[in-house]
Amino acid sequence: MKNLPGKLLLLSVVSVIAVTAQAAQYETDKEAFENHFKGRFPDVVREEFANGVYAIDPIGRESWEAIEEFPPYELFVDDGKEMWDAPFANGKTYKDCFPDGPGIAHKYPHWDKEQGMVMTLPLALNQCRESQGEKPLKYKKGSINNILSYIAFESRGQVTDVVIPEDDPRALEAYENGKKFYYTKRGQLNFSCANCHVQNAGMKIRSDMLSTALGQTTHFPVYRSKWGTVGTLHRRFTGCNSQARAKPFKAQGEEYRNLEYFLTYMSNGLTLNGPGARK
Amino acid sequence: MNMKKLTAMLCLGAIVAIAGQSVIAAEKKAAPKAETANKVAAEPAAKSSENSGDKAAAESAIAAAESARKKAASIDGEWRDTGKMIKKAQAALKAGDSAKAIKLAKKAENQAKLGYEQAQAQQELKMPSYLKY
Repeated sequence: MKNLPGKLLLLSVVSVIAVTAQAAQYETDKEAFENHFKGRFPDVVREEFANGVYAIDPIGRESWEAIEEFPPYELFVDDGKEMWDAPFANGKTYKDCFPDGPGIAHKYPHWDKEQGMVMTLPLALNQCRESQGEKPLKYKKGSINNILSYIAFESRGQVTDVVIPEDDPRALEAYENGKKFYYTKRGQLNFSCANCHVQNAGMKIRSDMLSTALGQTTHFPVYRSKWGTVGTLHRRFTGCNSQARAKPFKAQGEEYRNLEYFLTYMSNGLTLNGPGARK
Repeated sequence: MNMKKLTAMLCLGAIVAIAGQSVIAAEKKAAPKAETANKVAAEPAAKSSENSGDKAAAESAIAAAESARKKAASIDGEWRDTGKMIKKAQAALKAGDSAKAIKLAKKAENQAKLGYEQAQAQQELKMPSYLKY
């Protein structure tokens, strides 16, 4: 018992060292991640990665730029503005939940210490709706994409800035879980997300070029010609998992929220340019 | 004995012999018919017992597949089509096609086992060598 204060001090020092070492790990992860793409695409300037696959696919880029002259997501942005302005049944609006809105996309995802979970924009929108007595919106398809399009449009030019707070080890754990998800092989095809979007980014899969993981989160929600509408990031996650023949997870479930946390952190510093248009 | 009587006796004997042969042949022919009839009568019972055996085997195969699927899902290792295969197996069983149900259930069970093994092997995060730290 004599040495108890000494032991406690030692334990605290060891804990601090362990947390700091882990905290430094995500910075190292990001460095390795960025260096990989720098090595693969030495002629592409970093900021260009915000344009997704069109940073590395010159032919696709021509079509994309033509599409952007009359953007297919425009009507969704207009409908989203109407949603943002329209009062709920109780007379309040989204603005009451998000006083800094509508240009708030750069604030998500973030670690919500109070709820002990990664908070994404779609989840925050639905929590707002529920707190105002409204029904939550579906997370993959439908009108959630209108309001997300409007918010993304109003957030253009903001910079991705995901923070992993060091004062809550649960945040780091969420980041690590998202990272593990990204590098885990799954499904009948035995693919990880990284197999396509890190290892083989820039390669062709049938007629399409695989996009780089760097910059993948900057332009959501996205109008995909394949969908014929705008869809959420978690809808895209679902599609990717399905293509590898793995059973997809629930949109806005813990797995995909942590994945979004990791993946968006990897794009820190890139400018938001959503909503986007893709094939 | 004159020739007429002898010929008449020979003809009668031949007729008797032919008739006898016919009776034996007819009896021989009749016997398999009776056996077949007995067999036919026994077949529905056998088939019904075989069907119920198939049905039980299909039910057991579906249960094994579902249990393997749940095991894989418990460690996030379920594949996309496993659950669908089990549903198809259940539909085939309902439609009375036990053989198809067993085939689908076994395929699903195999997928589930592979998914479980895959997820087990991926429990520990190993950073890929193409990323240079």
